[in-house]
Amino acid sequence: MTSTGTPKPTTQQASTTTTSTGTITSPTSSRTSLTVEEEDQPDSLDPAVTYVTPGWEVVDQVYQGLITYNGSSITQYEGVLAKTWTVSGDGMNYTFFLRNGVTFSNGDPFNAYVMWYSVYRTIVMGQAPYWILAQNLAAGNGGNFSVTDAMLDSINYAGPSPANLTVMTYPDQSVQVINASEIQFNLGYGTNGEVPYSQFLATLQTPMAMAVDPAYVAAHGGVVAGQRNGWMTSNVMGTGFYELQSWVPSQSVSLLKNPDYWADGLPTSELNNAIAPAILNNIIIYFKPSAASIADLRSGTAQMILAPVTYYNVTRDIPGVTTTILGPAFGSAEATSYVYMDPLAFQPFNSTLVREAISYAIDYQAIISDVFAGNAIQWVGPVPPGFQDYNQSTAGLSPYQFNATKAADLLAQAGYVSKLPDGTKLNPNGTPFPGVGFLYDSDSPTDTQAAQIIASNLASVGITVNPLPLPYETYTSVIYSGSTNSTQYPMGIGFYTEDYTASIDYVYYFTSDNYVGTSNYNDPSAIAWTLNASASSNNSVVVSDFAYITRDMYYNYTNVWLYVADFMTVNQSGITGMIPNPAGSSAGYFLYFNTVEYTG
Amino acid sequence: MYLAKRLVGSLFVLLGVALIVFFISHVLSPDPALLWAGPKARPETIQAVAAEYHLNAPIFTQLYYYFQGLITGNFGLDPQTGRPILSEILFYAPNTLELVLAAMAIIVVAGVGLGYISGMRFGTKIDSAIRIFYLLTWSTPYYLGALAAVLVFSSYIPIFPSGGNGSVGVAYNSITGIFVLDTLLQANWPAFESGLYHLVLPATTLALLSFGIVPRIMRSSILDTRWSTHVKAARARGLDEGEVRRKHILRNALIDTTTVVATTFGWLFSGTIIIEQIFAWPGIGQFSYNAIISANYPVLVACVFVFTLGVIIANFIADILYTVLDPRITLGEGG
Repeated sequence: MTSTGTPKPTTQQASTTTTSTGTITSPTSSRTSLTVEEEDQPDSLDPAVTYVTPGWEVVDQVYQGLITYNGSSITQYEGVLAKTWTVSGDGMNYTFFLRNGVTFSNGDPFNAYVMWYSVYRTIVMGQAPYWILAQNLAAGNGGNFSVTDAMLDSINYAGPSPANLTVMTYPDQSVQVINASEIQFNLGYGTNGEVPYSQFLATLQTPMAMAVDPAYVAAHGGVVAGQRNGWMTSNVMGTGFYELQSWVPSQSVSLLKNPDYWADGLPTSELNNAIAPAILNNIIIYFKPSAASIADLRSGTAQMILAPVTYYNVTRDIPGVTTTILGPAFGSAEATSYVYMDPLAFQPFNSTLVREAISYAIDYQAIISDVFAGNAIQWVGPVPPGFQDYNQSTAGLSPYQFNATKAADLLAQAGYVSKLPDGTKLNPNGTPFPGVGFLYDSDSPTDTQAAQIIASNLASVGITVNPLPLPYETYTSVIYSGSTNSTQYPMGIGFYTEDYTASIDYVYYFTSDNYVGTSNYNDPSAIAWTLNASASSNNSVVVSDFAYITRDMYYNYTNVWLYVADFMTVNQSGITGMIPNPAGSSAGYFLYFNTVEYTG
Repeated sequence: MYLAKRLVGSLFVLLGVALIVFFISHVLSPDPALLWAGPKARPETIQAVAAEYHLNAPIFTQLYYYFQGLITGNFGLDPQTGRPILSEILFYAPNTLELVLAAMAIIVVAGVGLGYISGMRFGTKIDSAIRIFYLLTWSTPYYLGALAAVLVFSSYIPIFPSGGNGSVGVAYNSITGIFVLDTLLQANWPAFESGLYHLVLPATTLALLSFGIVPRIMRSSILDTRWSTHVKAARARGLDEGEVRRKHILRNALIDTTTVVATTFGWLFSGTIIIEQIFAWPGIGQFSYNAIISANYPVLVACVFVFTLGVIIANFIADILYTVLDPRITLGEGG
């Protein structure tokens, strides 16, 4: 199979836009500058380390990788630092033909050697997101070859010696330099084993595979295996259309147009939306609570903000502001929510009847209307709604329904005392349902509200839950930890957001990772289907595997699938040029600021 | 002698605080590597973090390494950013100090002034109005007050910026780390003006939401003093009323108020956590908050160190001020 990038950005999918007419008070920024406000800030600006949307947002503007999504698509790609690429027939080898004349903003050259360094740097550093690449790539070949930190720091990438070339062109390794402008990725060395990976390009689109200047890193601490580089946390040197002017932690990031951008002189015919020079000179991103951002939007101080959809009714009424509800899947790292129930941590969850009862006990529509004012949808996992394979994977299945009577009946059948909505006890001589801890993210107002509704729903059928709120950071460290640690947190609201934009990323999480937050689901068939889907480039095989998994989880009530909140975009009406993409990180829903214009 | 005693005492306070924070952090988060490695980190990444920070070692071994970092003065590396903690503290602390000192100036002027007026106009409508004002601001939660300030003065009547310290896009050399001071020292007037402009709203908000105790104590001290025998005696001696008020009433009333102002200084540091978040102020409050929620105890202890040091210094200054305000008080005497 051969794929080549053909630029042609598509427009965003289903969306609802509300523009309030009227006048706004005089904006303070000029049209060459854009002020964006959002709540969360970057964790790091090192492409090998950053693992949150605001970090990727900045990194996407200053660093570049080989390829990226074509416009709003997540199935078609276009070249960035690579001009074209080919994939071998067995899907095990990806060869990229690089652009000439690419330089970092300090003038250092980009070439295949630099790309080799950049990918191995991520792997050798081994920070939290490195596994995205490590599924298919590794520092060693399991035998006589291994890339080390010392090796990475010792090679001359601008003019490699014969010994350097021997290392980089060695064929039995994950990343192999063919020549200065050609590089090949050989799959099969990573944790997935010797199999192809249909979404390999999606993993290469992430910051983890972006080009980093080896000379710059070497001058500031180099590479140390297993450790972060403090300098690279807050300093950048990329090939992108913007440069970092300042990052004041807890306050702001300021980006300035790269005056020496390598693509400045390219003819229009060679440009695409991912490499076109920036239109705006300066992007300033402030980190503020949503309420303060909305005040700034109202005064014109901010032109674009990132706010939860729960503020929809507020922002849509601000004069001169456009508020858009994006369709499912759009919006950064689609967050899917569900209730997990770990049978290993809490004995009653071994009963399918109990899990089914819980699925009937929850009033989904009440959550969607009370918590999200209707701006959320119910879903059936693990493939997220809006993704290419969702409709086919869930064909014939409807989301779980609220039916308190049926929930009480099922609970009674499982041997427990339960209650009907009118208070009548069923199976009064049965076993009282033991109290169960219920974990949720206390930093999330929506999860907190949803947890209260769920607790009330469950109490009404005879299940007492003990709320276990944890702040976000602690909460995520629990739900993403090994399921052996789950005794204290047998149940709760789980959520999953993608690490890279592909259905398989979600499916892998729910079937194969054995986290606290996945109900300790460990079905060999599901794992086999997942692996088969991940290796197949035949979409009907993928969909079929996903459908098996979906049904297996659905009828076992492995998780109670709750909701996926809508995502909204909010900006002054004169802001245009954003190209929404489900992988978007800039202001949460598009990838690159270079195409953004401000004519307000 | 007094200074030496205070220094030794302070050292023990710092030591105790460090120990308490260290042990509390360990109880609250028995496995910090999970948090430090980042979300969804794979076991090998978590293991690498645990090894780097000796998290698998017995707790007293961890304590040894921890104090080693403290004694050498660099606090080690921030497990979440990889940067030296000392350099992070030196970036954040001056920003908070700028905010706190500006707020303190407002508190001292407004708090002492209003307390004095209230006490001297005891029982009048002015007294009532001042009392209502400071009770109202004092009882307002920081979050609500700060958001209301942003909404009113940055949105509906947009006369002040809603956030930041004015340093975005400004080229200047950091000397003290305090933006307003540095730009003043370098005679960078546009940046200085921008810094002041950005400082007004958060500093005033922080001051007003924290200052209630100062006018209250001041008022009460004025009431205690103004009818005391020595004031009556001063008047009987025919002293000018202005001199009586300045030297005999205000000066004596300031002794109690000084204690409260010093306490308020420490209180302001904790108040900045919310103020800094809402006003996007890059201070140590936000830095500490992030450290708390991620069980980042190496950073947390460093922050608590700074807070504790601030309180110790403020109290020390208060002690010295006592001697200035009341010549009968001598430092170090009477134990």
